[in-house]
Amino acid sequence: MKECIVEMPSYTYAKKAEKLLNSRGIRAEVKRRSTGCGYMLKIYADCRSSLNILDKFGVPYFLREKSEAP
Amino acid sequence: MIINFDNAATTFPKPESVKKAVAEAMDRFGGNAGRGGHPLAAATSKAVYSARETVAQFFGAEPENTVFAMNCTHALNMAIQGVMSEGGHMIISGMEHNSAARPAAKLAAEGKITLSVAPIYPESSRTVESFRSLICDDTKAIVCTIASNVTGQIMPYREVGRLCREKGICFIADGAQACGVLDIKLSDGINILCTAGHKGLYGITGTGLLVTDGKYPIKPIIQGGTGTDSMSLRQPELTPESLESGTVGVIGIMSMKAGIEFVRKKGIRRIFNHEDRICRQFIRHLQNDERITVYRSPEAGYVPIVSFNIKGIRSGDVAARLAEKGYCLRAGYHCSALAHTQLGTSDGTVRFSPSVFSREEDAAELASVLRTM
Repeated sequence: MKECIVEMPSYTYAKKAEKLLNSRGIRAEVKRRSTGCGYMLKIYADCRSSLNILDKFGVPYFLREKSEAP
Repeated sequence: MIINFDNAATTFPKPESVKKAVAEAMDRFGGNAGRGGHPLAAATSKAVYSARETVAQFFGAEPENTVFAMNCTHALNMAIQGVMSEGGHMIISGMEHNSAARPAAKLAAEGKITLSVAPIYPESSRTVESFRSLICDDTKAIVCTIASNVTGQIMPYREVGRLCREKGICFIADGAQACGVLDIKLSDGINILCTAGHKGLYGITGTGLLVTDGKYPIKPIIQGGTGTDSMSLRQPELTPESLESGTVGVIGIMSMKAGIEFVRKKGIRRIFNHEDRICRQFIRHLQNDERITVYRSPEAGYVPIVSFNIKGIRSGDVAARLAEKGYCLRAGYHCSALAHTQLGTSDGTVRFSPSVFSREEDAAELASVLRTM
């Protein structure tokens, strides 16, 4: 199963991204980062198309190194 | 017997749904929003985001541009000091509450900005022209209340918004007396809307909002923990967290969400009509008493606030005598030095302000008490 993890600049943007993707049938979940403070978004779908949606709505994110390349 | 006609200061009583939301928040949302990932923090964060969505939708904004504040004064300070941090010229209306006038005056006194005060007129066109005539090359922002907290006069805020857009100026609007009785949206031309949560939005005290369209950066006036990027000593730049250092007031936020839902369900127009009817009836009861001056002009529109004076009796004495009978009205200057200077009310005024829960018969009874003074 395709999976993609992006780090989010805040809980607010993480939640906004989660809702944007969920409303388009893409499963995504806000998770606490495993190290340090902050939140990430776990996307259970193709990374490129999911991130395209976030780009379209101007939602900032940081791609994790180990994440699937977009 | 307590009859509150000081709802412009803070609405009381609060709707049952707001009381319920407060109790629920105490029971369920005991975590710290936007911090931590455990179940309590997660539930609280989710609830606060949901409140952000409710506010954003109500004002036609985005959740990430919706900032929770302590009150309207806090929001106005953030907006004014944040937008004017690099200096420039600012115009404020001659009806501004001290919450806008004082931070602007402080910046001017420190030589950080130049400041002009635009006189306000009953006619909208004259007021807009008053602002236009003061605009110069260096003008960065106009601050204008949507409705005066002293007289209730509704400012030509949409026209001021158009003027600001035309000139590339940031429009900061104070919605403290308008939100909940007028349908205020950012699309009215407002770049930054500041308002209280505890007045017409029926939240509890200690709540306020700054809602922005994100066009004009707001430099934070308070730095601190935001729950993100914690190893950096630099304040994050993205709203809302950049402007929400420290733990947010979850209980107040949830009360505000419930309050906005109450207003939406009831209908802004319906609330306005109810309160406006009470004000008009109140004025009718007073109009035959020649000793009483009501500060309203036929050329202007008003939110449900009536300011008045009784000749020969100081405003504070009127309010004190009413208080003895259980009527709660605010007298004096209402923290609005500019407005009273412009109105020429050197002793201030007595302010009558109903809420959605006020009753016509109570206003009529109050008027009859006033006539016997």
